[in-house]
Amino acid sequence: MAEGLTRRSVLAGAAALPLAGCAADDDRIPLRWWSPQAAPAQVRAYRAQIKMFEAANPRFRVLFEPTSDEGYPAQFAAAFAARQPPNIVTHLPSFAAQNYYAKGLIEPADALLARIGAERFLPGANDVYRAPDGRLSAVALGGTAVDMLWVRKDLLAAAGMAAPRTWDELRRYCQRLRPRGIYGAPLPYGSNSMTSLIFIGFIHRAGGQVFTPDLDIALDSAPVYDALDFYRSMREYCPPGATSFGWSDSLNAFVSGATATGIYGGRVLINVARQNPRIADEIDCLTYPTASPQIPAWTFNDFPSVFIPRGVSHPAETLALAASLFDRAGYVRQLLAAPGHVLPVLHGITDDPAYMGNPVTSLFQPEIERMTVAAAGGHNLGFETPAHRPNARAGEVIASNAIAELVQRVVINGENARQSVGRAVDMIARVMKA
Amino acid sequence: MSGAVSRLLHRVPDAALGPLLIAPLVLILGAVVFLPLVAALALSLFEVNTLTLDAAWAGLGNFARLFGDEGRFWSALLVTLVWTGGTLALQLLVGVGLALLLNEDMRFRSLARSLVLFPYFVSTVVAVLVWRWLFNDFFGLANQLLIGAGLIAEPVDWLGTMPNAMLSLIVVGAWKFFPFVVITVLARLQTIPPQLYEAARLDGAGAWARFRDVTLPQIADVLAITVLLRAVWDFKEFDLVYLLTGGGPVNATRTLPLIVYQEAFGLNRIGMASAYAVAMMLVMSLFFLVYRRVSKGQG
Repeated sequence: MAEGLTRRSVLAGAAALPLAGCAADDDRIPLRWWSPQAAPAQVRAYRAQIKMFEAANPRFRVLFEPTSDEGYPAQFAAAFAARQPPNIVTHLPSFAAQNYYAKGLIEPADALLARIGAERFLPGANDVYRAPDGRLSAVALGGTAVDMLWVRKDLLAAAGMAAPRTWDELRRYCQRLRPRGIYGAPLPYGSNSMTSLIFIGFIHRAGGQVFTPDLDIALDSAPVYDALDFYRSMREYCPPGATSFGWSDSLNAFVSGATATGIYGGRVLINVARQNPRIADEIDCLTYPTASPQIPAWTFNDFPSVFIPRGVSHPAETLALAASLFDRAGYVRQLLAAPGHVLPVLHGITDDPAYMGNPVTSLFQPEIERMTVAAAGGHNLGFETPAHRPNARAGEVIASNAIAELVQRVVINGENARQSVGRAVDMIARVMKA
Repeated sequence: MSGAVSRLLHRVPDAALGPLLIAPLVLILGAVVFLPLVAALALSLFEVNTLTLDAAWAGLGNFARLFGDEGRFWSALLVTLVWTGGTLALQLLVGVGLALLLNEDMRFRSLARSLVLFPYFVSTVVAVLVWRWLFNDFFGLANQLLIGAGLIAEPVDWLGTMPNAMLSLIVVGAWKFFPFVVITVLARLQTIPPQLYEAARLDGAGAWARFRDVTLPQIADVLAITVLLRAVWDFKEFDLVYLLTGGGPVNATRTLPLIVYQEAFGLNRIGMASAYAVAMMLVMSLFFLVYRRVSKGQG
């Protein structure tokens, strides 16, 4: 061993290393931010927003912590039970915000809206977050047209058809493509939340609903059976693995060219641009077909939100952090991290050269406009129609798997539709009663 | 300081010294084992909202519901037993077979012994992602090989229909956990005196007879404890099942741990979730009692 460097001195140095780390610790006050939208490009955009906030608030540092669409209920339950919720939460669906608000776990968001400026939002953008007490449970961060029909113009031309507007036309299109070895659609039939969320759209597109406006269960109805019939008839045009499809499987099926149509939000655009640019000029989107032309389109919008849990540390700075997400430059950058997927809810963004100058938003401008219109008129289980009372139990109904199980029983197991609906009604009734 | 401790210890009567010395361990065990157990038992007697922790006394109501028509205990128990039995049998078969192979004198034995542990070290999330990719209907190796060999014309749905979903689950579970069997059995095999095999050979015993009459009795004790441990661990396995099939199709692979998770975090009923967990614990205690009886009988 070299002179002066003894075993003891090496050990002492090793022991001092952690202490050196402690001395260099960041003594700024942490604020925590949770979001399930955490693709790498999105996280980079959040970090840029965080940097701006930290520059203006040097006593604070913001920690971004990703969660997931399937995993957030467990993470939130643990956080609330441990009295350690994050300071702000973004991109959770409106029904999650309504559920947490109804349980007194999050702050009313009226102060946040006032801080941002209510006049900056598109008309009606925040209506979905209005709680029964008249206050807001959250503020809109964006919109998403989750279940658009994505089509390939080249395949439509080859089949000699226009884009399908009704279920019959969609099925006929899938039939014509079958001999060419192309699956028609990547509809989900799995035991997961995607199947529930997507099938709720089909119930509405048959003219039905899951709940009445007063939140009585309305599943045992002719439109629900029509929707089940159609969904079952589409199984043969979907890939074999659709019985366990999640969001990414369904997205990849269309983007890779394995299916002729897709059912997804705007993430298709960036994925096609990056992963399969060969079909970029051929794709188009429209609202998903309905059972008949008389039934209006129904688009699933999860209404990505921002809210502040109750009892967080440093409420004033937390409010400032939440409001800072809407600063124009950072907001545009955040939207462009998933262009066309999270759609703007503020005035003037779609005219902003910074937003429309992006290669994806400029290439797919018509699609983005169509999705923006669809999302603006969108709904979800927490807000089935404007006539419905807010359904704070929507998240639990989805988590109960009652609707996905209904689909699986009828389509995969071939069970009697009426009995399967009866089971689903019982399961949902227990959730609503609990 | 040490003098003071020494004087204090000398003043303690001999009869109290032992309990005093093991007291810290008892306290730690109490905090990390018995406290959560008592908490779970207590929670199972209440209706508790997971988010708000608002509680209302339910007595045995949760148990009445989970064992009754409304509950899913019996069907989920059957699924859990099929999964546990299936994957455990395959783990034993592959694990013992490979342990025997790796006990033989062969080239690259050390490398093979290291490599065989690989699945056990891979995180479950990564393992499931790899297997889901292998089972993929468009690009998965499993379907490509079968189609290439002309055995099937269209891709097989490995995870979304029965019985494929359960079989796939059992295979992936066996792949992930068989190295534990290899480690324990191989360690025991290496201590079997070679003279026993020599004597058996001299008596004209073939390979199967040597395995049945020498190896199996020698590894029986290790095998029994391995079976007990793996049965308990497989019975309460959550992440692999949840990530691979999510409990589907319908509820064909929905094991008890998945129901505990769904009750606790999907439906926000942690009291009911605890009742399921307590019922699971009772079943696992039954495993232990059977093991005790079998080992006593052997003794």
